[in-house]
Amino acid sequence: MRYTAREAFFAFRRSPLLTGLSIVTIAFALYTLGVFGLVWLNIERVLEGAEERVEVVAYLRDDTTAEESGALMREVAAYPEVDSIRYVSREDALARVREEFQEYEELYEDLDTNPLPASLEIALEPGFRRSALVQDVAARISRFPFVEEVRFGEEWVRKLNFLQDMSLFLGLVMGGIFAFVAFVAIGATINLVVLAREDEFAIMKMVGATPGFIARPFVLEGFTKGVIGALVALALLVATFSVLERRVLTLEFYSPTEIAIGVALGGVLGSLASILSLRRHISRW
Amino acid sequence: MVRFENVSKEYPKTGFALRDVSFHVRRGEFAFVTGPSGAGKTTLVKLVTMEERPTRGTVRVSGFSSDRVRRRDIPMLRRRLGIVFQDFRLLRNRTAYENVAFTMEVTGAHPEEIDRTVPRTLATVGLGGKADHLPAELSGGEQQRVAIARALVNDPFLLLADEPTGNLDPRVSLDILRVCKDINLRGMAVLFVTHDRALLEHHPEARVLELDDGAIVRDTAADSAA
Repeated sequence: MRYTAREAFFAFRRSPLLTGLSIVTIAFALYTLGVFGLVWLNIERVLEGAEERVEVVAYLRDDTTAEESGALMREVAAYPEVDSIRYVSREDALARVREEFQEYEELYEDLDTNPLPASLEIALEPGFRRSALVQDVAARISRFPFVEEVRFGEEWVRKLNFLQDMSLFLGLVMGGIFAFVAFVAIGATINLVVLAREDEFAIMKMVGATPGFIARPFVLEGFTKGVIGALVALALLVATFSVLERRVLTLEFYSPTEIAIGVALGGVLGSLASILSLRRHISRW
Repeated sequence: MVRFENVSKEYPKTGFALRDVSFHVRRGEFAFVTGPSGAGKTTLVKLVTMEERPTRGTVRVSGFSSDRVRRRDIPMLRRRLGIVFQDFRLLRNRTAYENVAFTMEVTGAHPEEIDRTVPRTLATVGLGGKADHLPAELSGGEQQRVAIARALVNDPFLLLADEPTGNLDPRVSLDILRVCKDINLRGMAVLFVTHDRALLEHHPEARVLELDDGAIVRDTAADSAA
């Protein structure tokens, strides 16, 4: 252990520039991933909020009788996707509009006839709030003859879903590119160090050091670079986040657990890069 | 201990380096391996350390057999051998003490054990007073003594010396031979590879294995060998 700890920072001293490059690229990889991850996370929160409100509204024709709407309610309530169902009469609808848009009160004051249709507001079970399923329920309800129109918040949910997928994809691709550069930089550092110490490794091999023993300081060094890179990325993310939050809107940041996972990911990336580029040399040890 | 059974080694480009070589070095024995350059001495050393495997035949070293040994066991074999080279192969930026301690470190020895063993081993090769010197501050003979101390420190069963006097003048060469003889007197087997026939006269009781063109042409222990 003494040996591993002492030798691990050989490259830091030997080639500070290449070491710095390794750390910066790992930081970029994780920062990119982190930024798009934040986008994903915040869209997810919006969608979760939206899903609470995802409901299908069926507007009924004005000539629908109480029996007909009662039968419809019983039938739709039996759908497995449906959580609850509520009948909004034409009077209720008008009252609600009056309350919600008090500024325009005079518009409704002297209406002779109520222009609003009666409707059924159908809330779905939590598991059925994704757009394809909502669409399916809406299609079934629209087949009833006295249903005038069916509406559901489908379009913007789909757009947000797409944006979310897109940010995940971009984060992985761009993060992956930086991660690849980080791998190359770490590999180059290792090649340099191995070349500089070839005699030493030959001696170690002769006196019975295992390849694992020779490799250990390199892996520790890679791990350290990864963790430092992750901390740099975290600092950048916090800075970016606070600027955005001040300028734009309330956003959600990563939880402590997610931050810990991100830092660990940096360590894993660094170690993995070391192990991969060592394999070539280890076969000769 | 070390047993070669009908060992041949052929290299793809240069052909046979050893042909049908058989011998057995016993516990506590002192044996010279001699012969002109190109006779196969270096190949023999590499077969003992299992850096190379024989093309035909079997090399057995301690409990390890060349036809069964796994790659990952080879470090364990090397820990049981003490190897000394012509060019010393010391770490330049480390003191005599650190060079010897390093061998114990890489095999995972306890720090206290290292602190106990290294001074004793340096004293064995007559370098007790120079533990803090870097290789550059030591003479060739002294550097080779450090290398021998390094070979001894893990208490191997065999000291394998590959042309240990090749870079040293005759007087110092005799010193090194004397150190090896002392080590042998303590019960450790010594395989002393040298092309310097003059050295053999200074240890007439030792066994001599003479190689020429990859074959053993003389073995002074042949009469009694099983």
